Amino acid sequence: MKKASLSGSPRENVGSKDAAALRKSGNIPAVLYGGSEQIHCSVGTVPVEKLIYNADVFQIDLEVGGKTYPCIIKEIQFHPVTDKIVHLDLLQLFDDKEVTVNIPVRPVGTAEGVRNGGRLATNYRRLPLRGLPNAIPEYVNVDITELNIGDVIRVREIPMDGFTILKSDSDVVVAVKRTRAAMSAASEEEEGAEGEGEEAAAEGAE
Amino acid sequence: MLQPKRTKYRKNQKGVIKGIAYRGSTISFGSCGLKTMDEGFITSRQIESARVAVTRYMKREGKVWIRIFPDKPITSKPAEVRMGKGKGAPSHWVAVVKPGRIMFEVDGVPLEVAKEALRLAAQKLPVRTKFVMRPDYTE
Repeated sequence: MKKASLSGSPRENVGSKDAAALRKSGNIPAVLYGGSEQIHCSVGTVPVEKLIYNADVFQIDLEVGGKTYPCIIKEIQFHPVTDKIVHLDLLQLFDDKEVTVNIPVRPVGTAEGVRNGGRLATNYRRLPLRGLPNAIPEYVNVDITELNIGDVIRVREIPMDGFTILKSDSDVVVAVKRTRAAMSAASEEEEGAEGEGEEAAAEGAE
Repeated sequence: MLQPKRTKYRKNQKGVIKGIAYRGSTISFGSCGLKTMDEGFITSRQIESARVAVTRYMKREGKVWIRIFPDKPITSKPAEVRMGKGKGAPSHWVAVVKPGRIMFEVDGVPLEVAKEALRLAAQKLPVRTKFVMRPDYTE
């Protein structure tokens, strides 16, 4: 995972009124859990937005009250109408404790089938990975260079080094499908060939 | 056009739309979508019209999800009929939406195409709308 740092300040009062005041002052209420105790804190909106409106997953070093806690973003609450960030859940990481993280899938290379007019279909934007924090990669790289039209890559075909993918082994991650235009063109060609064949047979009979 | 296959009762009361949408307010399937900023009734004709606008602009590429379903029957009385003598006959179906509800989602097309397709769809709808994207959207 990519690394990032974030500084927060501990919350003195916990409650909806205090949370609303924090949001008004440009902060986001957050909670850090997973360790021996919960830590309620607030973090700045601008640095958090840089981490959230991003395709990457970050391991964050959160500094609260003079201490630094390694953590990941576990859950983000958005306002249903304004889409502003309302609350953040942070999960504390330990070197010897396994963690489940949703990591983005990244197809590597250009598929043979796509060059021949196919369409690359990624069934999962992210895959849930379980492992020690140091073993979790930045991306789940899927090599698609040898995929032809109709070929798929399943979960069991992805090399797992120190982590497990929490999906069924037979789940399709990436596939190369025929485009609708290619399918209609192929069916037209077939119809044309059949028509010509019938005409030729009729002429032969005469 | 969309409508339920079978219903328990033929006619509904009008009802009042209160609050905002908590369910169905995040993008779940596609990469971007159209969110309503108002509450209102979206008729099955409006949904169909918006769907046609999106699919036409996207030239049948990509994928479209309709996240609302018109399950509320609306009745109307015939023209030139005096008030009273009972409730009118069911005339059409509507989907009840609250602010924040994602109505359409699209995926598999470039961002500019999706934006324009959803703008065209928004013009068919009786509510103010907003174009929204996944937080982790990448081209």
